[in-house]
Amino acid sequence: MKKPRVGIFKLTSCDGCQLSILNMEDELLSIIDLFDIAYFREATDRPLKGEFDISLVEGSISTDWQKKEIINIRWRSRTLITIGACATSGGLQALRNWSSLEGYKKYVYQSPEAINALSTSTPISDHVYVDYELWGCPISTHALSETLVSLILDRKPVIRKYSVCMDCKKKGIPCLLVSKGEPCLGPITLTGCGAICPSLEKPCYGCFGPKENGNIESLLRMFKNMGITQQECIMLLDKMNTYTYRKVRIEQSS
Amino acid sequence: MNKVVKIDYLSRVEGEGGITIKIKDGKIESLKLDIFEAPRFFESFLKGRYYTDVIDFVARICGICPVAYQMSAVHAIEKIFGIEPEKPIKDLRRLMYCGEWIESHALHMYMLQGPDFYGLESAWAGREYLEIAKTGLRFKKLGNQILGILGGRPIHPVSVRAGGFYKVPDKKTLLALMPQLEQAYEESLKSIKWAAGLPFNNNIMDMEYISLSHESEYPMNYGSVASNSGLNIQMEEFLKYFQEYQVEHSTSLHAGIKKDTSVSSYMVGPIARLNLNYDRLPEEIKTAVSESGISLPIKNTHLGIFARAVEIAYAFLTSMSIIKDYEKPDRPFIGADPCAGEAVWITEAPRGMLIHRYNLDSKGYVKDCTIIPPTSQNLSHIEKDIYNFIQHNLDKPADFIKKESEKIIRSYDPCISCSVHLVILKG
Repeated sequence: MKKPRVGIFKLTSCDGCQLSILNMEDELLSIIDLFDIAYFREATDRPLKGEFDISLVEGSISTDWQKKEIINIRWRSRTLITIGACATSGGLQALRNWSSLEGYKKYVYQSPEAINALSTSTPISDHVYVDYELWGCPISTHALSETLVSLILDRKPVIRKYSVCMDCKKKGIPCLLVSKGEPCLGPITLTGCGAICPSLEKPCYGCFGPKENGNIESLLRMFKNMGITQQECIMLLDKMNTYTYRKVRIEQSS
Repeated sequence: MNKVVKIDYLSRVEGEGGITIKIKDGKIESLKLDIFEAPRFFESFLKGRYYTDVIDFVARICGICPVAYQMSAVHAIEKIFGIEPEKPIKDLRRLMYCGEWIESHALHMYMLQGPDFYGLESAWAGREYLEIAKTGLRFKKLGNQILGILGGRPIHPVSVRAGGFYKVPDKKTLLALMPQLEQAYEESLKSIKWAAGLPFNNNIMDMEYISLSHESEYPMNYGSVASNSGLNIQMEEFLKYFQEYQVEHSTSLHAGIKKDTSVSSYMVGPIARLNLNYDRLPEEIKTAVSESGISLPIKNTHLGIFARAVEIAYAFLTSMSIIKDYEKPDRPFIGADPCAGEAVWITEAPRGMLIHRYNLDSKGYVKDCTIIPPTSQNLSHIEKDIYNFIQHNLDKPADFIKKESEKIIRSYDPCISCSVHLVILKG
């Protein structure tokens, strides 16, 4: 069997999700055996050429060039998978969407006119069709290897869709929300990390984004009853998945 | 004799950049590192955020060195609040930094730069090299395991907070790492020899290098700022000496250090640290360095891979000594009341000094901040280095110049994702 050609692309991001691939130290050599890593700038010199059976895309769309580039990537790809909160949800940099780009530029750069950036940072699925979305900031390497393996076996990847709360219950982690009154996003956040924060007695801050049909408003009402202001509630959601949380809230209220 | 040397998209570096060199009538007409990594405006969206968010957010500047960002930020915030964590906490933070140095250095040495010395396009492009790369993967995995225990996960760890950690590990958990650490340490001493024996280009140049310097330890989280030309100042003074400036051959804004009337480029990173802090290394590491045949101070900028090898061995040794002495503290953090204030803190990221400045309001929200990553400071030096190289090789074919320039850039382990804070992007 011919090895599937894999392309790994980076748009606006921190490189962390691509690094997750290199961080799969034990599996890396098997990955190289099973797949032809045909494009991966962070790790190889091979130039961008031809088509890909699988493309992994890290990063959000935040410049004009990237808007064109993602269409180019889509054309070349049989299966396109977004990896991480930036590609799947716009990332932390999508906080600019709710602010003025001009103000942002002036604050960081001495010559803001030279900065080429869109006023928004958006997920890949706002621009092209996406076959699979891997959530997380960073992604779970387990979900990534499950997805890659399932593509070879021609089956659907099994990615769990329940909330972080389920992980806490399974692991016997005391509930920070109920027992300590801490503003934990666990009830509305997709599983994937294995409840790392609650296991360290830190409230979940939503790296994996909203779980499907999570009752966000109800959790926010609970937070308000705990004495958290409206402004603080918004800030709890305005993090790496700000774009999706805001989108889902609008959808849920309509 | 005119030629244009152009690399559109550098490979085996973190982030997106290229380089264009124009040679006209036997002279370098222009040399420009193009950074086309899209800006993310961290300093802008940190404004108005609560101090606890800062520690989670700044990690996202870099997937390879998130701990560095958290360390510079948390120490600056603690300084504003007037608190100092207890010794076991300081030790655990140092252990965490060791994990990151190991993970980041091993990635660079074995996966990114190493293939250059073997004429390979990637770490897995040759059978012989794959065996060498496996050593790197073992180191990297162990560095990541340290980060996993202390931070919850290696990329964007979650445990650091003002005053300490959310939760600290039991001694038993850390002790479980010891057998692997001992083995890796032995291996890392051999890797110093391996790195020292690589075929380096001779690229000796006059340079100014800067790093933290501490009276009793090899610098990570504490120290004053020192250089080989006699600079020795407190962290908070550094921004007064630091200046962005423009140079003729480049459109990037450059970082330099102010002298009486002029501004000059400088280098940060493992070579700077090793040259300035060799005395602080334990005897057995010093022995390994002297047996390697490389003499200090290092004047060839291409020897970064050697300095990284030394620091990996040092990080393994330090990790073991921290774990041996560790006693779990009664409380994982000391409480802090937010208050208004401003502070600068510098720590040694794998790639060099990482400067953070925060100004908080009385409730602990960010009024404004400055973040200066190591690569932003090095960009100017990288250009100078390439300039210097081409001056001596003007008659060589464009393809040779291109390959060698790319190697020079890579030897600095640039992290372009981080660096976009400071440079003007290509229009």
